[in-house]
Amino acid sequence: MAWYHEIASSLAALVRRPRQDAELSEEMRFHLEMETKRNIEMGMSEADARRRAQREFGRVELHKDDTRDERGASALFDAWSDLRFAIRSLRHRPGLTAAATLTLALGIGATSTVFGVVEHVLLRPLPYAQPEHVVAVWSAWKGFERTWLSYDEWEGWKARVPAFADIALYSDGAATIDGDSPERVRSTSIQASVFPILGVRLARGRGFTADEDRPGGPSVAVVSNELWERRFGGDPSIVGKHVQISGSDRVIVGVTPAGFQLPQDYAGGERTDIYFPLATDANSQGAVPGPAFPKGGASHGYYAVARLAPGATAAMANAQLRTLVAELEQFGYMANVNFRAFVVPIEEQITGRVRPVLLVVLGAVVLVLLIACANVAGLLLVRGEARRRELAVRVALGAGTRRLARLLITESALLATIGGVMGVTLAWVTVRLLRTNAPAGLPRLGETSIDWAVLLVAFIVSIVTALLTGVLPLAHATGMALSGELREGGRGATTGRARLRWRQALVAVEIALAVVLVAGAGLMIRTVRNLLTIDPGFRADGVLTMRVSTPTVFYPDSTRVISYWDDVERRVAAVPGVKHVAAVRLLPLASEMGDWGMVIQGYTPPPNQGAPGDWQIVTPGYFETMGLTLRAGRTFTASDNDFKSPLALIVNRAFEQRYFAGRRALGGRVRIGSADTTKWYTIVGVVDDVHHNTLIGIVKPQFYATLAQFALAPGSTRRTMSLVAKTDGDPKALVSAVRAAVRAADPRLPVSEVRTMREIVDAAIGGQRFAMATLGVFGLVALVLSAIGIFGIVSQVVASRLHEFGIRAALGATPRDLMVMALGSGLRQAMTGLAIGTAAALVLTRVLHTLLHGVTPTDPLTFGAVVVVTGLVTVIASVAPARRAARVDPNAVLRVD
Amino acid sequence: MPTEPRLGPRAEVVRGTLEMLALRLLNEEPMHGWGLSLRLREISRDVFDVNQGSLYPALQAMLRRGWIRAEWRASENNRRARYYRVTVEGQKQLDVQIAEWQRTSAAVNRVLRYAFSGA
Repeated sequence: MAWYHEIASSLAALVRRPRQDAELSEEMRFHLEMETKRNIEMGMSEADARRRAQREFGRVELHKDDTRDERGASALFDAWSDLRFAIRSLRHRPGLTAAATLTLALGIGATSTVFGVVEHVLLRPLPYAQPEHVVAVWSAWKGFERTWLSYDEWEGWKARVPAFADIALYSDGAATIDGDSPERVRSTSIQASVFPILGVRLARGRGFTADEDRPGGPSVAVVSNELWERRFGGDPSIVGKHVQISGSDRVIVGVTPAGFQLPQDYAGGERTDIYFPLATDANSQGAVPGPAFPKGGASHGYYAVARLAPGATAAMANAQLRTLVAELEQFGYMANVNFRAFVVPIEEQITGRVRPVLLVVLGAVVLVLLIACANVAGLLLVRGEARRRELAVRVALGAGTRRLARLLITESALLATIGGVMGVTLAWVTVRLLRTNAPAGLPRLGETSIDWAVLLVAFIVSIVTALLTGVLPLAHATGMALSGELREGGRGATTGRARLRWRQALVAVEIALAVVLVAGAGLMIRTVRNLLTIDPGFRADGVLTMRVSTPTVFYPDSTRVISYWDDVERRVAAVPGVKHVAAVRLLPLASEMGDWGMVIQGYTPPPNQGAPGDWQIVTPGYFETMGLTLRAGRTFTASDNDFKSPLALIVNRAFEQRYFAGRRALGGRVRIGSADTTKWYTIVGVVDDVHHNTLIGIVKPQFYATLAQFALAPGSTRRTMSLVAKTDGDPKALVSAVRAAVRAADPRLPVSEVRTMREIVDAAIGGQRFAMATLGVFGLVALVLSAIGIFGIVSQVVASRLHEFGIRAALGATPRDLMVMALGSGLRQAMTGLAIGTAAALVLTRVLHTLLHGVTPTDPLTFGAVVVVTGLVTVIASVAPARRAARVDPNAVLRVD
Repeated sequence: MPTEPRLGPRAEVVRGTLEMLALRLLNEEPMHGWGLSLRLREISRDVFDVNQGSLYPALQAMLRRGWIRAEWRASENNRRARYYRVTVEGQKQLDVQIAEWQRTSAAVNRVLRYAFSGA
């Protein structure tokens, strides 16, 4: 095949098209004239001769098209002319075009946004080498579903679990970068093998050596890429520099790569900015050196991460841990508390909680997209109705079905393209909003961005919508081409039937999908309401919180720490609007709290079990600030926060029920820690349980001690505390005044994590709230689109039956009769849709199962409300067009004939 | 409205065959489209129903492949008409197609003859 002929022909077709077209017309005209002449010579009349010639030749426009197609590059031309035609026809109906593009933009935008989130949160690999081989290792026992490891366990698992290639410990905290503008950042102390286990290669410098990771080792640190850029201006010679951190001099040995985070960083949504060597061993842990276990267990305080040995799986690791733990139990280790050890694949660990939420949202957005497509297809069908004659003329002039198909598909494609561009813009805006307002507690959500993958998906979705919305109008148009619309006469009341049936089916589908979405939204709303009605044990409203640390360099002893907090509280209390102020070790629902072993007078724990209590350290005023309910006794007074006063303890109801069953807790005596030397506390008050770790689930025994007395016994000075300030007004309004007051007390100490208690509570149910918000918005969109669909149907029915209504009116039907008749035409679809949708929703809402709280996936109340709401929406949407039927003027209608 | 009958009592010429016949006729003398359609009808004694309009896409396809060339000339009755002429490449193509056709038709004939003699 001579390719240069092809190219020359295509080029000529591009450059000389008008001339070639003129020549083609002339050539065919010549043919027809010659044929006519020949027919006349054969004895026909001129009219017959011409008709015969035309019949023999066939459809001129069709042959012209076919000939053009043979020129080469014709696809381009046709596309261009189709496009121009599509633009023109869409501009002719701005209302319809706007409705269709907006609907598509909504569908495509929502789909792109959700896909962007799913891609970044679930699909994008974690910043670890072969993350499928990395697992988090946990311990568990009664009351602790997922808790830390002890040093002994680490030694034991490392030596005796063959499925682990290596396992390492780390522990999180906070550090202050000293200097003119001190900064509080999240820090984590890691064993030297944490980086190799995660398979991270440092961007600069190196990780820690074994020599650095021992007690008394060199004072070194690794910083995150983000801190390096922000705080050190990307200094290329950072490695080897000395930096003052939390009052001690540290040599920076490395910088992590951009985007790197420890597994535990994802849980809190905060990145570790400084890494220290964990620098611990069995001796400094009070643990048994080597892979051996003390009977009672020891302090459990480390996160652990492990890399699986080649060929090993998480299931194998779990099986080996189970065997090992059973063996330890025989020996008496952590007996009678149902001790377990297990691994969780790191991906599941990090995104496991958010996965069900996102999958539900992804499913919901696909439903929204389908509704949008159904709606646009419906709109195009209406337009097809109005264009019947135009298309019929085209068919009569010889336009083939293929040509017609191209034309209609081009129109859908154009709509989808405009919708796609608007949709991507919408997605861009939504993602920006999402990044700044990422609900806490949903890891990686804030990383979402519109990237090439998202754009590609938006593109594919646009093409799919073009096909979905184009195919139905197309089927009708081609049907039309075969059935010869022209002969049908002008009215076409009956021919519209088939199209109407299609639209009715589409609207029924829309309503069914809307019911599913609204049902999902309803269940989530009920869940969030249920969660919000759980009494957390404190009053979140009006409470402002912020974290402050008192490092040893500035505050070498507990006396100074206590007087610092006294000073801060005095200054903050003086801020206008502040009613109560206090300090607390851990804010409820903001972080998990571990326990401390106790000795309780008159209580003998079962064999091999201690008497653990969650330990909350506060300053007097905490109970008033947080609105805890006092059940017995008194709250702390200023004199309790003093070394010289008698040691006073306040306990929660769970504490009283567990350790003082049948006795009065008030006046009971408790020793914190098992050492015989620690002093006895006396219980002076009992307060209601506070949900500390999670909003749902059981509350464990908890005690409250004052900052000063806890520093005395068991002798632990809490250096990081959260300030809590209560106001009657908006706590946000107090931020700058309270900050200024804290700063005035000591400008060297940075303030971090400024939040309201309300924000913390909201974040605790972030997943459910996120699902509720998205399903709510999608449900609303679905309702609006279905309403538009119903509105369109009833309008069309009324328009096509106006004549009939006129006759009926003339024969004595009242406007009321006519209105009922018109309403009925839409309500049948609504009923079908409601029935199908309810049935589908009853099955589909099961996927929400893990997210729901206090409501079943088939909650009758929710479903009843959904049916009523959706039904009402369809009735309201039908009323306006039905009114037109009621107002029909028989004279005007009948005179048209 | 049904479209015009495409398959009548007379056999419709398939595209490839139409190209071969057109090349064969144009190889004798350059002709315009109508002239070619007339000659096709005459020679085949109206057996082949060359749907006259469908001749033009076929001609355009051959133009594109460089088998024929077109030029505007005055026709017999002094009107402007587009004449088609076979190129060297077109002649080669014609030889190939005729050879191919003869091979195929000979084979078909053999089969038919066998079928009838065997009956």
